[in-house]
Amino acid sequence: MVLEVKEICKSFGDKEVLHGVNFRVESGRALGLLGRNGAGKTTTIRILMDVFHANSGELLLDGEKFIPGNHRIGYLPEERGLYPKRTVMDQMIFLGQLRGMSGRDARKGAERWLKRLEVEEYANRKLETLSKGNQQKVQLASTLLHEPEIVILDEPFSGLDPVNSQILKDVINELIADDRLVIFSSHQMSYVEEFCDHIAIIDKGLVTLSGELKEIKKEYGRNRLVLAAEDIAPAQLKEKAERILQGLAAVTGEKKEFLILELSEGADRRQVMERLAGSDISVERYGSYEPSLNDIFVEKVGEEA
Amino acid sequence: MRKFGIVLKYELKEYVSDKAFMILTVLLALAGAVLLFLPRFVDLSDFTGVRTVDREETDEGEQDGDEGVKDIYLYLDEVGILRENVLTEFFPGVEWRAAGSREELIAAVGREEENTATREGAAEDEAQAGFIITGETEYEYYVYNKSMSDSNTAVFDEVMRQLYRLNYSDRQGWNLDEIDAMYHIPITVSEQVLNKDTGENFWYCYVLVILVFMLIVMYGQMIAVAVTNEKSNRAIEVLVTSTTPNSLLFGKVVAGAIGGLFQAGLVLGAVLLSYQANREVWGGQLDMFLHVPADVLITFAVFGLGGYLFYAFLYGAMGALVSKTEDVSKSASGLMVIVMVVYFFSLLQLDNVEGPIIKVLSFLPVSSYSTMFARIAMGTVAPWEILLSFVILAASIFGAGVLGAKIYRMGTLRYGNPIKIGAALKEIRKENRNGKAQ
Repeated sequence: MVLEVKEICKSFGDKEVLHGVNFRVESGRALGLLGRNGAGKTTTIRILMDVFHANSGELLLDGEKFIPGNHRIGYLPEERGLYPKRTVMDQMIFLGQLRGMSGRDARKGAERWLKRLEVEEYANRKLETLSKGNQQKVQLASTLLHEPEIVILDEPFSGLDPVNSQILKDVINELIADDRLVIFSSHQMSYVEEFCDHIAIIDKGLVTLSGELKEIKKEYGRNRLVLAAEDIAPAQLKEKAERILQGLAAVTGEKKEFLILELSEGADRRQVMERLAGSDISVERYGSYEPSLNDIFVEKVGEEA
Repeated sequence: MRKFGIVLKYELKEYVSDKAFMILTVLLALAGAVLLFLPRFVDLSDFTGVRTVDREETDEGEQDGDEGVKDIYLYLDEVGILRENVLTEFFPGVEWRAAGSREELIAAVGREEENTATREGAAEDEAQAGFIITGETEYEYYVYNKSMSDSNTAVFDEVMRQLYRLNYSDRQGWNLDEIDAMYHIPITVSEQVLNKDTGENFWYCYVLVILVFMLIVMYGQMIAVAVTNEKSNRAIEVLVTSTTPNSLLFGKVVAGAIGGLFQAGLVLGAVLLSYQANREVWGGQLDMFLHVPADVLITFAVFGLGGYLFYAFLYGAMGALVSKTEDVSKSASGLMVIVMVVYFFSLLQLDNVEGPIIKVLSFLPVSSYSTMFARIAMGTVAPWEILLSFVILAASIFGAGVLGAKIYRMGTLRYGNPIKIGAALKEIRKENRNGKAQ
């Protein structure tokens, strides 16, 4: 199953907020939808869920027009909330039935997912009596109770403590292993890096970078090197390296433990290594630079996420 | 349709499991029934002014015995025209005493302040009111504190007129009883109302118009608040991505209608049936309000429910335009104005059910819920008119439902400032154009 988002544009009033969003995702994979606040992630997801209508563009599933109502979709919205005055089980059965399940199946699904998320003891409690974290787990259980083939999670980790985050991580990994199509929106790059094979970075309503994460990292690290030296901090090393490697490489980044170098045009790694070997720098670490998703995101979007 | 049923069931469960709603419903029904059964067990004639059958029977037994505590009024006749039998005839519950002088009368009435607290222990020289007749057509009235309901002067005016007539007749040598009998010759009428008795039907129509108005405002507001609550607790996004807005809004509104019908039906049913069971005890005194013919009740139920549904969908849509429950009243104020205008026009036109205004109103969906049943109850309405009005109302309910669902869908995920209805409709038109273009 391949879901494609093609040239989606959306305006609210006179303001266009999406200017042609494109990405694709397939079953058994997870797509990380990244972007700063207000970049257009949630609007894109809401268009996918048919909450908003796009002004132009198309959504395709296996090449056919994607109609959300024809598929089992589990959607965890960013704005979370259920009925605070009703019991957990009551509203889960209600949601299961709305998604096409029988009352009995909905109850079974609810029991299974409440147990899986370790909140089964709250099944008959009113939602408002649960902690925020447990309410979030109930919401996730409601999202998955009908065994959706497409799972869309908008900021699923917000509000979860490390223990609950681990449970959620396990669940998401199970979903991916179970060949579900997962779209995952988050500010937390470490989670995206952990689950997602593909990413799409949305900035100001436009996908500025998309593709396989491994390839993107490789591409971003192609002409970049890391350099660390013994007994000298990166800040001091920077000045020295810039002088020694002049014409071959420039220092483009400074991390806590190493520098990031970018090869100048025509230069290669061997030349840099030879220049370093002839200097008084006692090289501790020298090699290819593999950027973190956070680095890529910051570089692409221009500000720390 | 299945999803509508699921939403309806879920929303109804909310009403049924709402203890406050159920207890209030039962209490109101019980209170109505108990009140109407009360005259069977308790003498309420002094309180309600309704002389019940039981009371009449016991009154006969009382006449020879204890007469109860009477007010004491003083009189001073300075011109010698007074006849005590006239006083007691016009003031049956009053003990009349003659005052020796003007000063004595004023002093006795002036001491009435203490009397009011201890009426039974009133002293001989204390009185609640006093009259000094100063001429054949003149008198003075003394009272310590004059209450709003004090009608003593009006009654005493009649006493003075009667005294004048009696004295005048005596002077002329006429027999006043004969003249009186001639003036008040009893007429026997055999009235046969072949269609509607407007006078008889007016008051219960009046009550039913008020009732349906209250139901629309009260339950409409409840539905609007319920929709806004779903927005404010953020459940709406899960709901609109799980089913269609039509199912959600129709389920919610119809559940509200059933809840309202259950509550109003139970209370109204309890009151009407209780009155029917005790009509004889009440002496038919409340017929004008509570003796409603079945056909009028059915028309009221059909058109009232239709009007209620029409407005409920619009109230639901208004609830979707705001994010906070405190903004609901503001959002629904336009609807409220329409309901109020219809309400006043309906009441003002009740005594002119054959007039052109009420005829037009009885076909408009915003007003037919109250005006058509009033016309049916009090006027002459052709069956085609009823049918046409109902068809217009039914189509309008459907239209209001679809429009309400569109506004509901459009407004559900718009948080922040309340959305104006004009902007919402513009947005819907734009969405529709986009939908068609795609």
